[in-house]
Amino acid sequence: MLFNDYPFLLVFLPAALLIYRLVDPFPHLRIGVQVALSLAFYGWGSPSFILLLIASIAVNWFASVVYGRVKWKTVLTLAVLLDLGVLALFKYANFILANLGHVFEATLPTLDIGLPLGISFFTFHHIMYLVDLKRGKAPLYTLDRYALYIAFFPQAIAGPLARWSEVMHQFGRQVYVPGWQRQFCIATCFIALGLFQKVVIADSIAHLLDPIYTQAAGGPLGSGDAWLAFCFSFQILFDFSGYSDIAIGLGLLFGVQLPYNFNAPLRSTNIQDFWQRWHITLMLFLRDYVFYPLVNLRFLPRRWLPVQFFGAMLITMALCGLWHGASWTFVLWGVVHGLAQIACSLWRRYGPHFPSWLGWALTVLFVLATGVIFRAGSVEAAWHVFVGLTQPLPLARGPHLWPLIVAPLFAFLLPASQDIVAFFTRRPNLFLAGILGLGLFALLLHMGGRDLHEFVYFKF
Amino acid sequence: MSSSISSSESDSGWGRSLLACLGTLIGAAALVLALMVVVDPYDSGKLGLLGIDGVNSRLTQITAASRARDPNFNAAILGNSTAQMIEPAELSRAAGMRFVQLYTTGSAPREQLAVLDFFLRHHKQVGALVIAADPGWCVHARPKEEGAPFPYWLYDTSVVTYAMRLISWQAIEQAFQRLGIGLGKRQRMNPDGFVSYEDIWPPGRFKEINAPRDPAPAISTEMRAVFPEISALQDVVRSLPPDVAIVIVVPPTFAPTVPKHGTDAALERRACDAALKAVTEGRLRSNFINYRVDNALTRDRDNFADFIHYRPVLARKIEQGIAASLRDGESAKTDF
Repeated sequence: MLFNDYPFLLVFLPAALLIYRLVDPFPHLRIGVQVALSLAFYGWGSPSFILLLIASIAVNWFASVVYGRVKWKTVLTLAVLLDLGVLALFKYANFILANLGHVFEATLPTLDIGLPLGISFFTFHHIMYLVDLKRGKAPLYTLDRYALYIAFFPQAIAGPLARWSEVMHQFGRQVYVPGWQRQFCIATCFIALGLFQKVVIADSIAHLLDPIYTQAAGGPLGSGDAWLAFCFSFQILFDFSGYSDIAIGLGLLFGVQLPYNFNAPLRSTNIQDFWQRWHITLMLFLRDYVFYPLVNLRFLPRRWLPVQFFGAMLITMALCGLWHGASWTFVLWGVVHGLAQIACSLWRRYGPHFPSWLGWALTVLFVLATGVIFRAGSVEAAWHVFVGLTQPLPLARGPHLWPLIVAPLFAFLLPASQDIVAFFTRRPNLFLAGILGLGLFALLLHMGGRDLHEFVYFKF
Repeated sequence: MSSSISSSESDSGWGRSLLACLGTLIGAAALVLALMVVVDPYDSGKLGLLGIDGVNSRLTQITAASRARDPNFNAAILGNSTAQMIEPAELSRAAGMRFVQLYTTGSAPREQLAVLDFFLRHHKQVGALVIAADPGWCVHARPKEEGAPFPYWLYDTSVVTYAMRLISWQAIEQAFQRLGIGLGKRQRMNPDGFVSYEDIWPPGRFKEINAPRDPAPAISTEMRAVFPEISALQDVVRSLPPDVAIVIVVPPTFAPTVPKHGTDAALERRACDAALKAVTEGRLRSNFINYRVDNALTRDRDNFADFIHYRPVLARKIEQGIAASLRDGESAKTDF
């Protein structure tokens, strides 16, 4: 079940809201009902892996309870290793086997297992909680509350990666208290904005770009199509930003404010700024649970600390790339971004001052160029795109290129979604509310005539 | 977190705003649904109170439904654009039946079977079926759906599935076109469905595009005998009364694309032909005709618009072969 699908929007969501409205007056039922709704959502989308999700919740919660009793940190370490092992099995086993096959010049078998929906995200949620528990920062929770933290349907599949400290205290709160109508108006704005970004902008770009990347995988591109392929980063921005906004809106409908995930990243003036505005929750996760631990490890002498710092930066970004997919192109993408961050850091310290417009232009160009590596699937296909940039722009396609004109304009000129929503919800306005209703209806009409595009981040 | 969101405000204006938003959304949806119920934008027969006849659109995937349920016809031509040039009026004249053209552009066998099922559901009495079997029928495993998605919801039996799809810009556009037909301001499409592609591919021009999509050779002899699409067609044909004539035609392609004798491709082709022939065997006034041959007609570029789309001169020959088959069955003279 996708957020941009009729069954979700017209059946599941209204039913879930109705059910939750009925149980809202009963505090002891709220969390249990939200867990049931979340499991139903997951089971609908990925029935073959619902037991894996339930087992994952049970094992990790049990580990936390055991730790609470005996205070053996090994229990938590083992639980985290088990989580990473399961993630590796489903996501990286075939990649590892293929590479071992190359090393030993042997044909190793591949595992015919699917990728459980949201496995990266629920694994990271477990890790965030267990590591903080080990650090003495997190308390113990009841099974139902912990289960909701992992399975809460607005965020379970593709984030945002909410920390336990950001959401646990919000679970089970009464939603229908004075002022709930305002929360619902804000939620509706987020959902409408997210759907617009996803189904109008991102899917329209995907419609243009998918055949071009298919062609790039097979050989050189002609007729200037490479210029369109060069714009993939706009697609993934609006795809994932749209998903995150819908998730935030859905969270609000159930009384939970999820963290923001994007802050107009293509208005960044350097690559470090960009990574503080793009997929914010993932970067905070990587900072706190990968980068800082690597920096704090004392395995180099003090005078070598800068080397360790930059090494940690590079490793973190390489892992960020690998997290996006079991492929060397993702690792390459991550390493290139890591190198860019190191270069940016050194430049800021030792280089001359950069005018912000030049920094912005270089950042956007860099993000677009590396986006090609991210999307292409192989270095060869990416190379075909880059070589194709020597041809003139495909202006003959005329009006069909509108998504690639609108998307940059929105990305460069408009503020972040949360700021747009805040602007329009400062005070109640019946006219704007009517327009929002019409806008939502127009989006439903738009979705009705098209085939569904999965959210890009479902693959990760 | 933004304070604008975390602060609470119990202004009753928010309640009215929420009502205005949801009211507009639900009201607009109700209005559009009401329009759809009255007009039945795709002329599917599932809805519609105004009794408007026919559609006006070149989207064959959706207009085939209107034609397929038309009670004025009792015989049908199925296929993709490689069946398009077969004129139903010519066949009707020659065979004494009332043929409708139900080709759907770019369609795969599974999609054509959905249209066939819809046609059969709407016709208790069927005289004949003509199926133009392009290489898509010769696959050894049903391929994943590619390209533009086929509107199975239109050919489905469920009204709910259909109604869910009527909340779309395309449905609104079709509804207004149908209203235009109802008001006499717009002509409906030719009811028998014939549209020549020569208006977009004028005679005298040959484009070296659209190579026949012959499936990859089977990896074993056993697999070579497996044709899931043909098996599905066989199941449908078996369910028909014995007096329903079936003619399966392999459309001609430009001669250089005909599999060369002795090659794997030729072996594949022969196996597929045998499977298609088995579908019609033993049926009255039924026949399998393979027009994908290398001869003077198919070597002449003037007889093709591209590798797979033939010109009217070949279409007339095919129509004669079909008409002869409907008259004489397997013993028909189908020279080409």
